[in-house]
Amino acid sequence: MSKIMTVDILSSIKGAKPSEAVNKLFEVIKNANSNSENSFNNIHNNSLSLEDLREDVVIESSAKEKEIIIENFPEEKNGYLVVSKVIEA
Amino acid sequence: MESQIHKVHQQLVNKEITCTELVQQRLDLLKTNTHNTVNSLLDTLALELAKKVDDKISKGTSIGLLEGIPFGIKDVYMVQGTYTTASSDLLKNYKSAYTATAIQKLLDAGAIPLVKENCDSFGHGSSSENTIFGAVKNAINPELVGGGSSGGSAVNVAKDFTVFSIGGDTGGSVRQPAGYNNVYGLKPTYGRISRYGLMAYASSTDCVGPIAKSIEDIRIVLNIMSGKDVKDQTTYASTEITHDAILCSDTIKTVGYFKNFIESDAIDSQIKSDFLESIEKIKAKGIEVKALDFFESNTLVSTYYTLAMAETASNLSRLDGTNYGNRIESENLKETYAVTRSENFSEETKRRIVGGNQVLSQGFSDEIYLKGLALRDSISENFEKDFNEVDIILSPVTPNTPPKIGDSLKDPLAMYLSDAYTVGFSLGQLPTLTVPQGTATGLQITAAKNNDELVLKFANFLKDIL
Repeated sequence: MSKIMTVDILSSIKGAKPSEAVNKLFEVIKNANSNSENSFNNIHNNSLSLEDLREDVVIESSAKEKEIIIENFPEEKNGYLVVSKVIEA
Repeated sequence: MESQIHKVHQQLVNKEITCTELVQQRLDLLKTNTHNTVNSLLDTLALELAKKVDDKISKGTSIGLLEGIPFGIKDVYMVQGTYTTASSDLLKNYKSAYTATAIQKLLDAGAIPLVKENCDSFGHGSSSENTIFGAVKNAINPELVGGGSSGGSAVNVAKDFTVFSIGGDTGGSVRQPAGYNNVYGLKPTYGRISRYGLMAYASSTDCVGPIAKSIEDIRIVLNIMSGKDVKDQTTYASTEITHDAILCSDTIKTVGYFKNFIESDAIDSQIKSDFLESIEKIKAKGIEVKALDFFESNTLVSTYYTLAMAETASNLSRLDGTNYGNRIESENLKETYAVTRSENFSEETKRRIVGGNQVLSQGFSDEIYLKGLALRDSISENFEKDFNEVDIILSPVTPNTPPKIGDSLKDPLAMYLSDAYTVGFSLGQLPTLTVPQGTATGLQITAAKNNDELVLKFANFLKDIL
């Protein structure tokens, strides 16, 4: 299988092609000078202290929230939420 | 301009107007307005809340400063039970299941939401033309754009349809429309206000931002919305900015500006001369002004858009019509995803998603994405260095006056470049305020991270001298 995936497949957008305007932005980046060599070691990245993590607990949604989530579901049939067939028989 | 919040509050307390009358008046103005600022009206909710405020007042119970104050919400914020469309076909029938933290804090303080406001789809634009609800028309000249992406919010404030509005600013989306419509618009320090419930565009620069007609109103609303939120781990605890703290600007000794912004060929000659005139007035008050070196506009815009596109491609990948959104069925799962996204996203949104996926793909990521991150760090380092030398950085908001409706969508690159003066401060995650003074599209006041108070302080100073 080819390892090259085109942008229309990557983006799940039919017929998508790279844009000339956007490519011009990328050219500027390629040619720009940067003082910071390795951004992952840089202090400016947002980081979070391990002591400051929120509790890992399940929070039950309210009945109203659940009702709206179901209302937003695109298709319902006989009391079931309909999704596309994923596994072929 | 005096504080509209204090003025309306006094009118309610003095029983010069009932809250129901106030809310109904503003709803009528919104409903009949021809500036395309409204995606949906929250009339039933607003009138219910207004009645509660009236009941309190008639019983002689005191009300809080924000109780009964009508406000608008950019249509990218979750408010439980209301349509939250992001001005897109994909989410045109989507209802929020929960409420954004920033909006909940305003509701808890008693403010009354009137309207979900028109904007560029998913925040993708600088003119509020990329929307299924029709281009937002400028408050001052309706032939011109309202600015973007929070165009509907800025126009509603400028036209007094709302007392204040809550926009969202990723690369200038509060500050630029505020400038185009001559009102105040603040992008606070990143993390000061929770992003929980704000539809994500570029998560590393997305900020909740108030738009209002006075510095005092910006201060009041900022204080209410600020604070640490466990639902957004990038938030931090901040202290309240008091009314008195921003009245005296004695602590501001040095102001800087980026000379390449002003010496650029792209800047309108009137904006340039007005900006330089403002600088002279500041100098005349005994403040030292320093011309600073900064990155070229092209580099700023390219770095911002490269990173923002990468983040939006990732954030919007969840929008495939499976659990919500306007699903368009096709022969199998993958085709359903592709058709749903192809038919429902605007051309500009698709351009940004595709650009983002290019950036993140193998072969491109080192050359472009990681380089973009490194450039961002250099920009932040530059700001740190600058704020060792100056207290405030002043800049124009835009190089040019608002374009005519229809012109921006024809030339995406020109639209991206029009953000040249706002995106740098977003990358630096700095507090920046647009004030409706100094040039035709205002001035931006920026301070070091977490120094939002100094920004408001300097705005008060400029109000008196310009």
